[in-house]
Amino acid sequence: MSFDFALIVDSIPKILTGIGLTFQLLFLSAVLGLALAIILLLMRISGRWYLVAPTMVYIYIFRGTPILVQIFIIYYGLPQLEFVRDSIFWPILREAFGCAIVALTLNTGAYVSEILRGGVLGVDRGLKEAGAALGLSARHRFIYVTAPIAIRLCLPAYSNDVISLMKSTALASTITLLDMMGIARTIVAETYAPYEIFISVMVVYLILTWIIQRGFGWMEKRMSRHVRSEA
Amino acid sequence: MEALTGWWDDFFWGSLVVVEIFFVALILTVLFGLIGSAAKLSKSRVAHSIASAYTIVFRGTPEILVLLLFYFGSAITLTAIAQVFDPEIKFVDIPPFWAGSLAIALIVGSYATETFRGAFLGVDPGQVEAARALGLSNLKTFIYVRIPAMWRLALPPFGNHMLSLIKDTALIAIIGLEETLFVAKQAIGTTGKPFTMYIVVGAIYLGFSTVITLSVMVLERYANRHLEVAR
Repeated sequence: MSFDFALIVDSIPKILTGIGLTFQLLFLSAVLGLALAIILLLMRISGRWYLVAPTMVYIYIFRGTPILVQIFIIYYGLPQLEFVRDSIFWPILREAFGCAIVALTLNTGAYVSEILRGGVLGVDRGLKEAGAALGLSARHRFIYVTAPIAIRLCLPAYSNDVISLMKSTALASTITLLDMMGIARTIVAETYAPYEIFISVMVVYLILTWIIQRGFGWMEKRMSRHVRSEA
Repeated sequence: MEALTGWWDDFFWGSLVVVEIFFVALILTVLFGLIGSAAKLSKSRVAHSIASAYTIVFRGTPEILVLLLFYFGSAITLTAIAQVFDPEIKFVDIPPFWAGSLAIALIVGSYATETFRGAFLGVDPGQVEAARALGLSNLKTFIYVRIPAMWRLALPPFGNHMLSLIKDTALIAIIGLEETLFVAKQAIGTTGKPFTMYIVVGAIYLGFSTVITLSVMVLERYANRHLEVAR
């Protein structure tokens, strides 16, 4: 057993061919998940029980079960049901890629909506009252007062969630998708060199994590530039 | 539902494996978290940078990657070592139970490191000074003063770490541990009912998550009992 550097040099380009799929999974499910999270948030803070209760059940289920099980239910499980196969969603759910996007979106949506709720609840009541005193309607208050502050408050937690979403995209390799993880697993199955391949792909994921962290760090700094102390 | 007849006991034994692995990994997680946070807070530069590298690597790479690297990496190393003594040996591995619990404990331990570090920093320095003044040794101060004061602060985030831990156990089915997800796969092989089986797995995990959430609530009440207003 030895550490084969030539193999690393050989396989990194192969692994990187999967980065496109990893990015697609990440961006599509991050954007769709955020949209879902906003809908869930609005339902959750609406104060109407018939909107609040289903949201709470949804969040409870999706945060209480492993994402791997959710992926398996959607990819392997749903085709068992006839009405799913007859539905208009079948073209999406037939493909592993569509299933991965659906699973990641549903999962991240549940987590992100809780983060957003934390941000909304963290907004100082006085500001909302000030908005009301100025005669802003509830909708205007939410859009112009609550939302901008809430976004700033939940950005750090949101960046962590994007990172865990990125890590979850690697699970797409369990349903035959060839993202970076999938390709790495294929190469390991051929060469039986787990150290070389898995450590190389690990480095790539670490770089992605770093980029996401840096990107959000920059955004946080920019968004809170007005509160920075004069030093 | 008839499809499940005859599989209940398998799911029960699978759940028991999940419980076992959860407790083994929980103990290791606390251990790694304490060691990691002690290293991060220590004055030693070496210990600090090792702990930093640990948290960066294990928080920035997909869980499944760490798991596969551990399992296949240890297998290839052990096989190479065994072949030195007996060339006849074809394959030696760490049992998936141990490779898996070690891997998920290292991952969640890296999150716990940060949690514990913050909690230790949150302990009132006056309490530690008081312990010193009473002549308690460093070890005694740590056990009788720092830990009891810190776990109250660490409990809410640590509850989330326990939830990640229980959900990560599902991944270990990938390396062949006979837990619920693995049972489901076998059951699907004979019954051809993937949706039913994976929903059962999801329900089992949801049950575990609920138990953990409730236990953390009880523990928090217990930890903060001195702060409760006398009735």
